[in-house]
Amino acid sequence: MSTEGYDTVGVTVKATTYGVIGFLVLSNLIPLLFIVSVSFMPPNEFFGAPHLIPHAPTLKAWTNGFTELKTNLLNSFLIGAGTAILALIITIPGAYAFARKEFYGKKAGFYAIISAMMFPYILLVIPIMDLWNDLGLYNTIPGMILAYQVFVTPFAIWILRDFFEKLPDDIEEAAQVYGCTQFTAFLRVILPLAAPGIVAVGFLAFLTGWNDFLFANLLTTGTGPVPAVPVLYGTIGGGSGERVYWGKLMAETLIIGIPPTIIYLVARNYLENAFTV
Amino acid sequence: MSTRNLFDVRNRTEQLSEDWFSYLLILPVLLFLVVLMWMPFMQGIYMSFNNWPFGGEPTWTGIENYTFLFGWNPFYTSLKVTLMFTLTTVFQLVVAVMAALAVRELRRGKGFVTGTFLISYTVPPLITGTIWAYMLEPDLGPVFGFLTKWHVLDKTIYWGSHGDMALGVVMFVTTWTFWPFMFLIISANLESIPEEMYETAQMYGANRYQTFLRVTLPQLKSAILVAVSIRLIWNMTKISQVLQLTNGGPGYDTSILAVLLYRFAYGQGQMGVAYAVGIVLLLLTIGFVFVFIREFERASEEGA
Repeated sequence: MSTEGYDTVGVTVKATTYGVIGFLVLSNLIPLLFIVSVSFMPPNEFFGAPHLIPHAPTLKAWTNGFTELKTNLLNSFLIGAGTAILALIITIPGAYAFARKEFYGKKAGFYAIISAMMFPYILLVIPIMDLWNDLGLYNTIPGMILAYQVFVTPFAIWILRDFFEKLPDDIEEAAQVYGCTQFTAFLRVILPLAAPGIVAVGFLAFLTGWNDFLFANLLTTGTGPVPAVPVLYGTIGGGSGERVYWGKLMAETLIIGIPPTIIYLVARNYLENAFTV
Repeated sequence: MSTRNLFDVRNRTEQLSEDWFSYLLILPVLLFLVVLMWMPFMQGIYMSFNNWPFGGEPTWTGIENYTFLFGWNPFYTSLKVTLMFTLTTVFQLVVAVMAALAVRELRRGKGFVTGTFLISYTVPPLITGTIWAYMLEPDLGPVFGFLTKWHVLDKTIYWGSHGDMALGVVMFVTTWTFWPFMFLIISANLESIPEEMYETAQMYGANRYQTFLRVTLPQLKSAILVAVSIRLIWNMTKISQVLQLTNGGPGYDTSILAVLLYRFAYGQGQMGVAYAVGIVLLLLTIGFVFVFIREFERASEEGA
C-alpha cells in the first residue's frame, strides 16, 4: 500500500523484487536438482547429452555411499554434538557475566574475546597438531571437540550475551523474592528464557563440527575418527580416472549435506533473531 | 559519618566479591582462547623464523623464510590472487543486500525463500566445491553440456587449465557459497529497523532511493561492518572449496595465501615457510579490515 500514488515505481520495485528472488532461488535450487538426479543415475548415463531426469534410476550410489560413510558419519555426529555441548558449558557462564554483571575490565574482555572471531584459523592448525601430539589428543574425538572451541566460543559469547541482555533487569530479584537462590533463579528462570539463543548457538556449534574440513583433515588420520567431510576430498581431487564415480560422489555429497540442512530448517527461527548486531 | 563509612566499606567488599564471581564465570572461555589461540599463535610467530621440516626438529634461521618468500615468483602470484579474491566479499555484500531488501518486500513465501537461500551456507563448503566441480566439469557437467547443446558455445571450455578462468570460477563459487551468511546478518538487522523511520521519511517526501541511502544504510552500518569484516577474513582462510575445485592450480593461479600455506605445510612439509606465509596473511587481513572500517566510517559520515 505504501507505494500508492506513484504506481510505476511500485511496479518496477515489484518486478525487481521478484526478479532478484527468482534468480537467487533458482541459482540455489538448480545445482541441487542436478546433484540429486546424478546420484540416481547409473554410471553410463553421466556421459552423453546432459539431462535432469535419470533414464534408468538406481539406488546403488546411495547404498554404496552409505555403507562407505557409515562410521565417518557417526564420527561427524559425535564431534558435532560434543562441540555443541562443550561450547555451551564453557560459554553460558561467561556470556551471562558479560550481559548481567558489572566488573572491572568487562568491555575490554568482551572485545578481546569477540575479536578472536576475526582470526585466520588456518594459522593455528599446525601448532594445535603439535600440541595435540604431545598431549595424546591427536587423532581422537575429544581432541577434535576441544580444537573446534577456537571457532565456536567467540561466536557463542557474542550471540548468548545478546540473549541474556534482552531479559528484564529485575527478573532475578523477582525470582529470589519467590524463594529462589541466585543459582536456582539462573537455572529455572534465566536459562529457559534464553533458550532460543542457546538453541541457535548449539546449532552453529554442531554445524562447525560437522562441516569443517581443515581441522578434520589434519587432526585425524586413516586409523582414527575421520569425520565424513574429508572423505570427499581426494575422491575428486585425484584428477583423471576418478571422474567415473560422480554418482557415488553426489550421493555422498547429499548424505553429508542433508543432516545439517534438516537441523537448520528446524532451528531457523531461533537463528534468525540471533544475528542482530 | 561513621555509619556512612561503614556502608562504603561493606559496598566495596561486596563489589569485590561480585567481581571475583564474574571473573570466575568468564574464566573457562579465556582459558580456552589462551591455550588454543594465543599460545599456538605465539608459537607460530616464533616458528616462522625457523627451518622446520615436517616431523623434524626446528632450527633458528632468522628471517630466511621471509627472504625466500619475497624472492620467489609464485609468492607474488599468490599475493595478486589474494587481492583479487577479496573482491568476493564485495560481491557477497551486494547480493546479500539486494536479497535482504527483496525479501523484505515479499508478502508471502518468506520462509521458503530464506530457507532456500541458506541451504548453500548450511552445507559444508567442501560440498559446495564438489557440487560446482560437477556442474562446471568440462566434459560431463551440465553447464557446458547445455551451453554447447544450445549453441551458446561451440566447444567446451577447459577452464581448469587457464589461470584467469580458474580464478573466476573459484571467486564465483566462493560468492555463491558465502553470501547467505551476510544475508542472514543483514536481513536480521533490516527487520529490526523501526517502521516509523520509514513513515517519517515518506512524510518528508523521500523517494525509495533516498530512503535507502538515508534510512536503511545508516541503520545497517554496524551489521555491514561486522558481516564484511568477518567475511573478509573467513573468505581468505576457508580454503576447502578452493582445494576441491582447483587444488590451487593451474600453477599457483588460484593459490590464495591460505592455500599457499596449506601447500607448504602439507604438500612439502616446510612448516617454517608455511608459518611465514601465515604471518603475511595475518598482516594483510588486519590491513584490509582496518582500511575497510576507516573508509566505511568516512563514507557514512559524508553520506549522512
